[in-house]
Amino acid sequence: MGFRSYVIKRLVYALIVLYVILTLNFVLFRVMPGDPTKMIIDPNFTPEAKAELRRQYGLDDPPLKQYFTYMGNLLKFDMGLSFSTRRPVWSELKERLPNTIKLFLCTFILTSLTGMRLGVKAAANPGSFTDRVVITAGLFTNAVPTFFIQLLMLLLFGYYWPILPIHGTMSAPPPAGAWNVFLDRLWHLVLPVTSNMIVGFGSWALYARNTMTEALGQDYIVTARAKGISEKDVLYHHALRSVLPPIVTLLFMSLPGMVSGAVITESIFSWHGVGRYLLDATLQMDYPAAQGAFYLIALAVVISNLLADIAYGLVDPRIRVGAGGAK
Amino acid sequence: MPKKVRLPIAVVLALVLALGIAGAPGAAKMAFETTGPHVDEIIMPIIKEQQARRIAYERGESVVWSGLTQPEDIDRAKAMPNSDMTMTLGFHMFYLCFNMRKEPLASQPIRQAIAHCVDRDNIIRTLFKGYMLPMTSFVPQVSPFYKADVPVYPFSYAKAAEVLDKAGYKLDPVTKVRIDPKTGKPLAQMKIFTPTYEVAATSAELGKMIADSCQKVGLPVVPEPMDFPVMLDKIDIRDFDMYVLAWSLSRNPDFLYDFFHSSQDVEAGYNNPGMRNPEYDKQSELLRYASNLKEAKAASDACQMILAREMPYVPLYSRPYIDAFRKDLVTGYVPMKGFGAASYNNLWTTLNIRRVDRSGRPIEGGTIRWALSEEPKNLNPCVASSAYEQEVLSRLNDSLMAMHPDTLDDMPWMARKWDVGVWEPEAGKKGTTVTWYIEKGIKWSDGMPFTAEDVEFTINYLKANKVPRYLPATQDIAKVELIDKYTVKVYFKNVSYWHIYSADLSFLPKHIWKDVKDWKGFEPWKEPHPKIKGYSKLVGTGPFILKEYVPGEYVRLVKNPNYWRLKK
Repeated sequence: MGFRSYVIKRLVYALIVLYVILTLNFVLFRVMPGDPTKMIIDPNFTPEAKAELRRQYGLDDPPLKQYFTYMGNLLKFDMGLSFSTRRPVWSELKERLPNTIKLFLCTFILTSLTGMRLGVKAAANPGSFTDRVVITAGLFTNAVPTFFIQLLMLLLFGYYWPILPIHGTMSAPPPAGAWNVFLDRLWHLVLPVTSNMIVGFGSWALYARNTMTEALGQDYIVTARAKGISEKDVLYHHALRSVLPPIVTLLFMSLPGMVSGAVITESIFSWHGVGRYLLDATLQMDYPAAQGAFYLIALAVVISNLLADIAYGLVDPRIRVGAGGAK
Repeated sequence: MPKKVRLPIAVVLALVLALGIAGAPGAAKMAFETTGPHVDEIIMPIIKEQQARRIAYERGESVVWSGLTQPEDIDRAKAMPNSDMTMTLGFHMFYLCFNMRKEPLASQPIRQAIAHCVDRDNIIRTLFKGYMLPMTSFVPQVSPFYKADVPVYPFSYAKAAEVLDKAGYKLDPVTKVRIDPKTGKPLAQMKIFTPTYEVAATSAELGKMIADSCQKVGLPVVPEPMDFPVMLDKIDIRDFDMYVLAWSLSRNPDFLYDFFHSSQDVEAGYNNPGMRNPEYDKQSELLRYASNLKEAKAASDACQMILAREMPYVPLYSRPYIDAFRKDLVTGYVPMKGFGAASYNNLWTTLNIRRVDRSGRPIEGGTIRWALSEEPKNLNPCVASSAYEQEVLSRLNDSLMAMHPDTLDDMPWMARKWDVGVWEPEAGKKGTTVTWYIEKGIKWSDGMPFTAEDVEFTINYLKANKVPRYLPATQDIAKVELIDKYTVKVYFKNVSYWHIYSADLSFLPKHIWKDVKDWKGFEPWKEPHPKIKGYSKLVGTGPFILKEYVPGEYVRLVKNPNYWRLKK
């Protein structure tokens, strides 16, 4: 099977998966107990006012009509109006997306680079101090809940040693001048990104260490060493290269997890992002807002999987041949 | 009948003494000015995380730590030397509701016996370290309509057993469960629905404590914690025996009609216990449609007496408003009965708060920082519904009447006076009229005059668009008549003393809103003002103007130079 057919096939799968997710996204919120208008427990809000609100929300339409409206609107990237704010969901998400992307990119790059660098170093020196630290710290931080580490850091650097900002993406109000604004925003990234790094580097380090340890035991590495190639070249040009396919896959596959992980980080550091938006929308039974946020996460998952498949096919031709079946 | 007993005053006193708080019941009345504001700017950082908010207060990044409910937070704030604590009684009520539609809870002695089993003092001491006030009335103690001399049911297993024995619910010595005299069989199990421990640990534990107490007198009551939306669904379809929940009530007891009148025992209605008492219906109708305060008070008293006998709820406790202020940074905050010192309903703190210098002397002007716990997501006054939006909007808008912080009496504000009258909407039918006389010289923040035309426009606009938030206030309005530039008369379809509060809305500037067709989608804080550079279309008559709102980060308010109550 050619690479093109392989990509088309993956694309069709991705679209089917997306359709199923979007349908579930619609159904799950409707079968969940509760009703958004019931969340307004206010004696001044009369049954007539609630009925009017249901009409304006479109909740008194038949479910099938609601479903077709929902799917039709999503095709146009129209996610409707939030129940709680009456503002377009897409406008609200657009406001928050840059913050989530910024947080996510910084976390992702720093966590994966640090983790992999330590993993490779540990694999190159088995039993060394670095190896022992990577295994112990990696296992420990990976096992500790994210919110615990983050609250601990909030307490340490916000209260006992108050040197770091504890909320938001900027000072209120921000300093004057573009450079100062840039530094101010960077400063606000320190706590959330560092806490995410502490929690996340372990899994990367352990994965890189294990795959590299396996690769370093292969015959071609022995040959490379026998040829007198420097240890650095053996590590980075021979061993690391051979373990790249699974690492590339892991890179892409970790993207959605980090987006959904933003829910906790954004809540603890009062970060104005998509994760916090999703949490608020779900708690308030704000269907359009929650559906919009889930739609974005679903898109991220499907696109990441698709990219992982494509990248895997690119770096390892056996995958796309294998995917074509045993012809 | 139960004897009249006094409130467990010991607990109230213990609470007040433990706090040593200004504004506590009996504390000296606070002085306040009706002019202001005394600060130039309020920066409101949005800090959603509870711990971060606490740290911000301790770091001086917020002058207030408001709405303290957790005992450990109150203790922590109290321990800070530069904290000044304020406490006021509130309109909060936490209660146990019975489903009176089915046996055995349809039986009054069973409800009364359960009421005797509730040990409020122990609940408050155990779960809240004393930082709650025991509640035995259906109208909050802080309300001028509170009736103190209604019968209450003191905690006593002996009295509970006596009530049950007298009504024929004898204790089976073998099973230790009461026998239903109507069926001759042991009483069926009764469940108390509560939210889960994960969501509301104290409510779940409270349900368990009440159930344990009931079991001691042979009532087979068990707690059942459940997911909150599921609980609301079950309450809505009346599939429950008992549940615990809270109301945030108000000064005026018109809620007594909504909660217990038989006509409200319908889908989405609030008569959850299913009370159907003709005598009560009559009194609550008199309350709802009272033509004057005297009638309203008499009907409210009668309603409270009937409720004390019927016991559709067991009122459990009321949460006072406890706020902490940084006294090294600010002074002038005014504890307001029912609302607290830091509530958005409290106009007086907004007007009176000011900075202090290093020696603690008040100084004029400058900036204060006041943390918000949530995002004010939509600042369109027609759409804004949550308290978080009101935190901002209340500082941008004034109302026709104000409320005195000590007595909660109505005070003339943007309306210098008002007349209440009667008219005939149709032959043989009566309706209330309220005539508002607007103060001259009030301006919108963009300098345009605020007149009776704005009042007329707002009522007609909200009514024509059926704006849900204002529907309860506008649905009884028949028409509005503009008498002159500063006088407007509102005609209601029926008679009710409470109608004077229906026209006291958040007013819309006619010169901005007359062209707004899509009231739901309008974002006035984002659109530039048509005439004044640097202003938005979010125009109000209140002490502050919205200068900047960066979503997720902060709100910045500056003093309104056109404010009609500025100190000259």
